[in-house]
Amino acid sequence: MIAALAYSVCALALVSMGWGLVTAVLDKPPGKAQLLYAAGLEVVVLVQSVIALVRLGAGFRPVELATTIGYLVGIVVLLPVAWFWANSERTRFSGVVLAVAAAAVAAMTFRLLVLWVAR
Amino acid sequence: MSTAREPQPAAPRTSSGPGRALVAVYGLFALAATARGVTQLVTQYAEAPLAYVLSLVAGIVYIVATVTLARGTATSRRVALVAVSVELVGVLTVGTLSLVDPEAFPRATVWSAYGSGYGFVPLVLPVLGLLWLRRTRPQPTSALDTSAPDSSPSSSSE
Repeated sequence: MIAALAYSVCALALVSMGWGLVTAVLDKPPGKAQLLYAAGLEVVVLVQSVIALVRLGAGFRPVELATTIGYLVGIVVLLPVAWFWANSERTRFSGVVLAVAAAAVAAMTFRLLVLWVAR
Repeated sequence: MSTAREPQPAAPRTSSGPGRALVAVYGLFALAATARGVTQLVTQYAEAPLAYVLSLVAGIVYIVATVTLARGTATSRRVALVAVSVELVGVLTVGTLSLVDPEAFPRATVWSAYGSGYGFVPLVLPVLGLLWLRRTRPQPTSALDTSAPDSSPSSSSE
């Protein structure tokens, strides 16, 4: 984990969450820019997980190794699944679905950062 | 499925509209609780077997609720009702026990302290689930008033 990258992921994810809630309040399905933004967020999340897993492979041992690995892998699937679920019925609630996934990405990244302390 | 009673166009499917968001939250908790339970059981079973088994049970209940709410057929609605009811009883029981008898739960589960570690979402979720199942229940013939009290005693959510 890189602190600056993790905080960036949190910030980007919170924007995605807010965006999803705004379109839900406005009673609109997510627009193209919004979906592209979510895809971009997923790329950054992927990069973060790969970097962290490489560091684990190189011998870094955080306090809770199993939990950390679970989070690093689990966080990657959230946005793609939410993307599919949000697009299979496009209503205002698609934005809520994206917001839920983005909130989880932010929370998990923050938790990963807290766990990323050498044993 | 085809032999069930007439399709009712009035009530939305459990996977539609707001149900979309509900299923998303259920899916998130299915992933979180199951992963947590499995990880804990595999790596440190001896520390708190009861809490860890409960985490896994909670995860399975969330998985069942997610899948059945997402399908939204007549049968899956019934299974969803059971799963969500079990979830409500579970979070209330484990939540109370974890406060009254903390030694029984030396390690937290999703339902400890009514899910305070997860922003109390585990406490709110089954209530929303039951309300949503009630809202989307198939109407006998053409009932226009969806807010009318349920005449059948089958689905009391108390």
